[in-house]
Amino acid sequence: MSDPHLSRRDFLKLTRTVLLTASGVLGLGGLIRFLSYQSQAPAQTEFDLSQASDYAPDSRTVLPDVPALLVRTETGFSATSLVCTHLGCTVGSTPEGFVCPCHGSRFDSQGKVIRGPAATPLVLLKVKTTEDGKLLLFTN
Amino acid sequence: MRRTIVIASALLLLTLLGIAWWESRGIKPVALTPSLTGQVEFCLTCHADLPEISKSHPIETFGCVSCHAGERLALDAELAHSTMRGGKNPADFTVVEASCGGTDCHSGTEAIQRDHIQRATTSIQATYAGAIATIRFTYGAQPDLTARLGTTAIQDNQSTSGITRLAAFDPLQESNPAVQSFGQNCLICHLSSAPAETGSRYDHFTGCAACHTPTQAADLTSIDTSTSTRVHQLTTAISYTQCDACHNRGNYDLRTMTFQPRQDNPTDRLHDYYQPIAQFTKCEYTLDCIDCHTRTEAMGDGNLYSSKFDIEYIRCKTCHGTLTELPKILTLTDSNDIAFRQALLNPVVTLQPGVSVLVTEKGEPLWNTRLLLDGTYELIGKSTGQVFKFKPVINSSCEQDPEEQGSADCHKCHAVKR
Repeated sequence: MSDPHLSRRDFLKLTRTVLLTASGVLGLGGLIRFLSYQSQAPAQTEFDLSQASDYAPDSRTVLPDVPALLVRTETGFSATSLVCTHLGCTVGSTPEGFVCPCHGSRFDSQGKVIRGPAATPLVLLKVKTTEDGKLLLFTN
Repeated sequence: MRRTIVIASALLLLTLLGIAWWESRGIKPVALTPSLTGQVEFCLTCHADLPEISKSHPIETFGCVSCHAGERLALDAELAHSTMRGGKNPADFTVVEASCGGTDCHSGTEAIQRDHIQRATTSIQATYAGAIATIRFTYGAQPDLTARLGTTAIQDNQSTSGITRLAAFDPLQESNPAVQSFGQNCLICHLSSAPAETGSRYDHFTGCAACHTPTQAADLTSIDTSTSTRVHQLTTAISYTQCDACHNRGNYDLRTMTFQPRQDNPTDRLHDYYQPIAQFTKCEYTLDCIDCHTRTEAMGDGNLYSSKFDIEYIRCKTCHGTLTELPKILTLTDSNDIAFRQALLNPVVTLQPGVSVLVTEKGEPLWNTRLLLDGTYELIGKSTGQVFKFKPVINSSCEQDPEEQGSADCHKCHAVKR
């Protein structure tokens, strides 16, 4: 039967082990945190828009997180980026097209420039419907 | 030995715990990734309370660093601000190209009317070339009034005014004591000059911000000179009080070549102008300066000039016409007309294609005016939004000479008694 009392030597050994293990865990955690630090998360390029059936036929849905305008017509889905091609402000969607609130660029409903200062059309985004009916939008 | 290791282990753990605790107390960065740069910046960690500078420069698009520079990831104020352009004013002319330039921004071409920096830096308000030439001519330092010197050296090979370069005016190189005094005492009123004192009624920034960043309340009676009124704002709705920060401060004493600040304390606008003998029509003291004077007059047209009179062309007849001619009118049909952009930036009026506005002799639309159905006109104050109605001179009892359209000519009959 072993001695129920811890010897001084074993106590010091145990204490040392605990302290070093805790230090190691803490230090390793800090090192991992340091090495994996990202000041900037990579930009999201794929958006899950849930079920395609959630969008009514002939609907126009502004997706502020993208930002984009999702249009559902009889022929399917299309999406137009709402990022102004001049300096990157978010354009507003109107019945006639798109208007940039920052510098007044205007685009028609297809995203083509009607009035500057923007010189290039709004970007058309890829929309994909998966086999299980989910809608995905890609910005790259 | 074992005890030493245990103590060392304990100290190591304590140190690590201390570091973790210190870290947990530190500033939590507030990240912003502007769409223009796509690069995260932590400026909002401390500056989230600043108002957005203008509708045309939304924070989520521009962020802070694209205009101000600085260390975008620093959380220490000194380090973060150490590489800022122009201190608190990135629109100072020494750094404006890096801050506000770019072909899509304010140093584009004349064709797309985005050559703001090129025009402002060559303007008479920046070069002060007219005053320098006048004083040097008066004291015999140059044979005529053609500008040769400016506040800084500037070259503009595209200038069509006949002046393509100005050398820097250096008072120490002048032999006439009066010209030297002028250089030392009177060069305090151009777009690169620092204000006499901040927080005063004559406080202003330098560069573009001298006009476009308000430092004064829009009305005389609201000006508080006890505190600095510098705000984080860019505007094209510039009140007359902002212009007055430079243009209404006092007189130059040409005998001593010193500037004499005004000593009075007027409480209404009619008596505010420092020249006691000056005359005003109702327009001149009820409208803001920019209600009549155009962007080209204020910011120049890109050419170097010898005198402000070479670039000022708005006269009474621009809006009122003459006894024989109605004022010039332009019906806005081109959606790319600069008028629409100006109205967008300062939406005191909603412009629609088809509206007829007054236009200057150089073709600049006075976008804040409109021709009414009854043949009269309307002007909407760019800073106040106030509506003014006015009539043409034609068929009136006015006895003007169409060739004499200076303000002094119209003051003969239309000056308001001060």
